[in-house]
Amino acid sequence: MKVKAILHVIEYDFKNFFRYRWFIIGLLAMNLADLFISAIVFTQMTSIVNYFQFFAPGLAVVGLFASAFMIGREINMEVRREIHHYLLSLPMTRAELAIGRVLAGGLRGMLYMTPLLITNFILLRFPTPPELLLILLTLLLLAIGISGISISIAVSTTSFEKFVTARSVVYYMLFFCSSVFYPISVIQILETKGLGFLVIFAEVNPLTNGSDMIRSFLLPASDGYVFSPLMLLNVAIFSAMFASLAIFAYMKILQRH
Amino acid sequence: MGLKKLWLVIERDLRMFMQYKFLFIMRGIWFVAQVALFGLVVNQMVQSAAEVLDISYFNYYVAGVTIITLYSTSMFIGYDIFEEAEHGVFEYLLTLPISRRELVLGRSIGGGLRSFIYVGPLLVIVLLILGVSNPLYLLVAIASLFLFAFGVSGMSITIAVAMKSGDKYDIFIGVLDALIVRLSTTMYPMLYLQQAMPPYAAIANFNPLTYASDMFRWATGVGGSIQFSPFVGVLGLFIFFFSFTFVGVVFYERRLEGGSWQ
Repeated sequence: MKVKAILHVIEYDFKNFFRYRWFIIGLLAMNLADLFISAIVFTQMTSIVNYFQFFAPGLAVVGLFASAFMIGREINMEVRREIHHYLLSLPMTRAELAIGRVLAGGLRGMLYMTPLLITNFILLRFPTPPELLLILLTLLLLAIGISGISISIAVSTTSFEKFVTARSVVYYMLFFCSSVFYPISVIQILETKGLGFLVIFAEVNPLTNGSDMIRSFLLPASDGYVFSPLMLLNVAIFSAMFASLAIFAYMKILQRH
Repeated sequence: MGLKKLWLVIERDLRMFMQYKFLFIMRGIWFVAQVALFGLVVNQMVQSAAEVLDISYFNYYVAGVTIITLYSTSMFIGYDIFEEAEHGVFEYLLTLPISRRELVLGRSIGGGLRSFIYVGPLLVIVLLILGVSNPLYLLVAIASLFLFAFGVSGMSITIAVAMKSGDKYDIFIGVLDALIVRLSTTMYPMLYLQQAMPPYAAIANFNPLTYASDMFRWATGVGGSIQFSPFVGVLGLFIFFFSFTFVGVVFYERRLEGGSWQ
């Protein structure tokens, strides 16, 4: 396996990413509106947490998800327009192509998320270098996993509408059943409504672990967020699972097309 | 102006809308997720605020989400206009024995009507959850929501014809959506917007989504919401409807000539 070939694929996807610069700016504006409007208002409404501080790390995860998922939209378009025939004809193995695409999706997510993470550091506090490394590693793994989900869905259907619908289902399940928007202690109310399985899902959700891990480093200790290696392990397992699935699906399904 | 011809344009837009099966499914999933997950959980988080206003935040939020759904489905007509421009359907429409004005007005009404057809079943479910404070109030609120939906369609058409790129339209609509929804009382009461940032509340006071959601809550008896007289609400929505429907019609009509939309 040649690293250079993988780097070429990543470069190709990054160039595509920058073609959507207005889309990225629009997405960033939407994310910042969430933080500087909705979060500020909810801060006035809740006494459980300082919602603005609570939501800021969640916002980085929201941005990471949206941008890492964009690779699926492009791959689905390539499948529909049969551009994948050209990609498959390139002098590189299927595995190199597939790994390159999954990694590119994740790295693009990291790039987009960077201004949101810096906003977090400015608003909350700057982490120590080891903390920063842990945050970046966890978020990179999370982004690769999200890119994996996105690619797996993208190559499974030639219909853009089906892809968008599946994306919505994944988005709502992962976000609303996680601690991105509200503390896990509040989600536990669902248990009393007979929705206990959603609470379990929220606890093992990698988005919960990713956002709570950032909170453990950036929020005051009194908020009760403590870093646990299990958080990293959870995200790593998620990433390994979906990256492998995406690589396998991309290699096999594209050949079948 | 021939009413029959106008109806033909409306009917075409309604039929086109019925093809978007996945849009229906997607918006349905969104609505259920917003109500059954986000609404329930956030309701727990803002208990103290709800007690101050003596409201159920869950009910407050359910009414707001209904208006957001009506808004986003009414905006969808703009995407159809871009699709048609890209695939050359515009030229076909212009060859039909229908005047420009009938075509444009029909599209604006069709855009609002089809979103109402989509939101109709959701509206019934929401009314079953929230109840009705007074049938007369409900009639006034439904009439206001019609004005709102037609106005949003007109706004979507105006923006679509003002922009020549589908991508730019998509981005602009996304940003507008983020701001117009968040700077309104669809998700939170005016009191908290005011406490958070007075300029936010000032903008929300002139936002059609504020009028639409507060009028709907007034009709369903969700307490502590309406900050203005219902007459002002209806008037606000009428001005919004009138501005965008008729300005949109004139604008669209002018852009149609000479292929300047291309």
